[in-house]
Formats: sequence, structure tokens, C-alpha cells
Amino acid sequence: MSYVRGLKCRECGQNYPEKGVHVCETCFGPLEVQYDYAAMRGKVTRESIEAGPRNLWRYRDLLPIHGEPKSGLHSGLTPLKRARNLEKVLGVRELYIKDDAANYPTWSYKERVVSVAITKAIELGYDTVGCASTGNLANSVAAHAAEAGLRAFVMIPHDLEQGKVLGSLIFNPTMVRIQGNYDDVNRLCSEIADKYRWAIVNVNLRPFYTEGAKTFGFEIAEQMGWQLPKHTVCPTAGGTILPKIYKGYRELIDLGIVADNQPRIYSAQAAGCNPVVEAIRAGRDLIKPQKPKTIAKSIAIGNPADGFYVVQAVKESGGWGEDATDTEIVDAIKLLARTEGTWTEPAGGTTLAATIKLIESGRIPRDESICVCITGNGLKTVEVVVDQLEPPASIPPSLEAFDALMAGRESVDPAPASV
Amino acid sequence: MAKVQKRVWLTFGNRSLVEKPILWRMARAHPDVSFDIRQASVTAEIGIMAVLFEGEADDVCQALKFLTSAGLTVEPIEKNMIES
Repeated sequence: MSYVRGLKCRECGQNYPEKGVHVCETCFGPLEVQYDYAAMRGKVTRESIEAGPRNLWRYRDLLPIHGEPKSGLHSGLTPLKRARNLEKVLGVRELYIKDDAANYPTWSYKERVVSVAITKAIELGYDTVGCASTGNLANSVAAHAAEAGLRAFVMIPHDLEQGKVLGSLIFNPTMVRIQGNYDDVNRLCSEIADKYRWAIVNVNLRPFYTEGAKTFGFEIAEQMGWQLPKHTVCPTAGGTILPKIYKGYRELIDLGIVADNQPRIYSAQAAGCNPVVEAIRAGRDLIKPQKPKTIAKSIAIGNPADGFYVVQAVKESGGWGEDATDTEIVDAIKLLARTEGTWTEPAGGTTLAATIKLIESGRIPRDESICVCITGNGLKTVEVVVDQLEPPASIPPSLEAFDALMAGRESVDPAPASV
Repeated sequence: MAKVQKRVWLTFGNRSLVEKPILWRMARAHPDVSFDIRQASVTAEIGIMAVLFEGEADDVCQALKFLTSAGLTVEPIEKNMIES
């Protein structure tokens, strides 16, 4: 059974039926899915969720679909790791890594939003889906569309590196390189979304698409034994995931599925593109657009569509915002890899680096539970660390040479620390 | 030519821009383009507006260029839609 009751403008409250529309015709505010929470009470429970499939659709009662899921049947339920090694390094009591670098099939949190969007696209009768993306979103749309038998259009900037293109092209979408600068590409994508009757997942299906991000928060709660971390640190790009994790937490609290520990949520951005963190620090609700300049390209969005709602969620929860320089981002990527065996892209490095700064500044107490949201896989961004790692030693094929190497290393490398 | 409609966000990114009558100047320079403010939030330091522009395609394009050259950030109603 579905508990969806249509769409509603977040600004003026006007109601809309479920269709491929994303902004209010009156005030141009964003639309959001409405649910009948009263009808869920006593029916949507820990037990009902645990009886669901071993994928993100175990939370389908809290997602905006009516029929059976059509996409993402192997997505979600990614590892939540107790990061004991990192706890020791950072001097904190309880630290978790929610690791969507392991999300199937294209290794990012986008599987969550795209699974919901593709299922909704089919429900609404679309035969073509699309997106404008430079990486993870394009990969995910192309892969899920291929499996669902939909046509996929992927719009990309003309100068995107070949490596980034391949991760989508392998799934055989129609890919269009658009000439011009970022603003030109962005404007054209808006016009395409307006003119063609396609399901552009992060545009006209945005109200449904963003709901998929709640599953990131639902999984954290369930995997912690139906508890919420006190502090959740999350990267901010377009502003989709952070407000939806928080919304997911509030839904679980309001339905009595978890206790209300007054969870706080924190936004992490790169210092070279920090419009949301800058607004939080300045005590403003309004976002000043920026021109990005950072290696964390996957979160470099100068005027995030949902930036305002990130600020709102952070303020309402009592959280904060923190940014990280490119050097701090790379250092955090390496730290996470060597302590926890998780290789994340710069978005994850940003989140961990911001977490460290929030701990060091006392914004996050060392004795309370902390969850760091890792949203993408480092294998997609090797260029960020390729010149930052010590090259391997090269020796002739003899035991003597190896022994000499070990002797040399031991003289400079004491026994490894316990971590 | 057919009339077109454009829904955009205008950002007045600093106090100097907030305090200038830029929309009035645009209207004087492009009298055949109508504009309808649907949502606005303005402080001393920053202002944002959701605005519907309507007119001949070329006129609307020129009006938006006028606003950009005056220092406003002009973006589609979706803001930045190119995600990673």
C-alpha cells in the first residue's frame, strides 16, 4: 500500500497531483512529496521494515511509489562501519562510516535517488530518462535505465575527461557533449527539460528523486540497531542528501521507530566552493552563488538548488557547517584509506576533513556518536591522489636486495603503531 | 515570432547591487519584455528573486543579458542542475 498523497509547494503550500513537475506554478518554489503519516502509525514499524527486501526498497512505505519497484533491486544496504581505528586517531568515543562507495551498481549514493526516480518515471509513463551530469549521476542514470529498458539521455560539458565519460558510456545511453561554459550548459539543460517530455531525474522528477536520499538515513538508523547518531556529517553539493537524511531521521522519530536523541546534522563543503557553509557561518538563509575552484568537483556546485533547505535543516537540528581546503581533503582521503580501508572520492575526503575540524573546534563533542557520510568511490577520481602517494620501491629479483630494502626501511620506519 | 516565457532566479549578490534600481532600468531598456516577480527575499547584503519574463525570444534574451551585465546572477529556476 502507498501512503503518498501528492505534491506540495514548500514555499506557498499549494497542492499538486503526482506528475513530472518540480516547481510551483505560482511562486516557483520547489515541490515536495506528501505522505499520510497518520495512516502509517502502527503499520510502518521496525518489524515491517525488517521483513522487507535486502535493498533500499525495504523502506518503500516511506518512498513515493505506488506499484512494485522497477529499479535499484540490488542497491542500498551499504556498509555502516564502526571506525575503531579512526576513533583512536581522532580521539573520539564512537565513530561510524556510512559507506556508499560500495553502493551497487555504479558506486555512489546516487543509486538511491536514481532508483526512486526511474521507478517513478515508469509509473508516470515516461519511456526516456535523462540528466545533466559530470560523473556519478550520469553513471547511475545510464546503468539503471539500461536495466529498466528505458532510453537514457546524458548531457555533459564538452570538455569532460574521457575517464568520466566511459563510466556512463559503457551502459549505452545517448550522450551529448554540450559546448560552452558551465552556465551555457546549465541553461540549455533547463531548456531541454522544458521542451522535451522526458523524465530528467534531477529536474522534473526532482520531488521524487530527492526522496530516495532518505534511505541513506534510514539505513544508518537501522544498522545502528534502530538508534540515531547524535552527529551526522554530510557533504553538500546540490543540497539533496543532507535535508533528506534529516527528514528521514525525523520521520523515524515521528513514527516512534527510533527515540528522539535530537540528532544534529552538519554540512561539509570544499573551501573552494562553500556557498552553504558561508551562509551558515554568516547566519544567512540566502545563498550567495560562487564560482567553484576545488579538486572536489563532485560537490562543486556554486548555487545549489536546495542550498536554502540545507541551511534550514542544519539550523533546525543545531548543527553547523565546515569546509576543507584541497590539501585537507586529500589528507583525509588518505587517512580514511589507511585507517579503515575505505577509498573515497574528494566528496568523502571533504566530509571527513570537515568532521575532524568540527571535532577539533569542539562543535562535535568527542564522547558522542558521530556518523560520517561517504557518498562516492575513490576509484573514480584517481587523479586526485596519483601524485600524492609514495611510489613503490623497485628492486632486483634477489632476496639480498629485499633484505637490504627491509633493513633500510626499519632504520627509518619504526614498528607500526597499534592502529 | 512566438512569445516565450523564462523562469529565472536573479541574485543581487552584494549591497551595491541591492541598492540599485536594476529591474527598473531593464524595463526602460527593454519595454517589450514583461516581468512578474513571484517570490523575493531581500536583505541589505543580498537579494534573490524568482521572476517570470515574457516576450519575443530575442527580446527576453537581450533583457537577461542586460541583467547579467549589470552584475546580477541570472540562473534557470532549477539553479545549478549539472550534478556530479
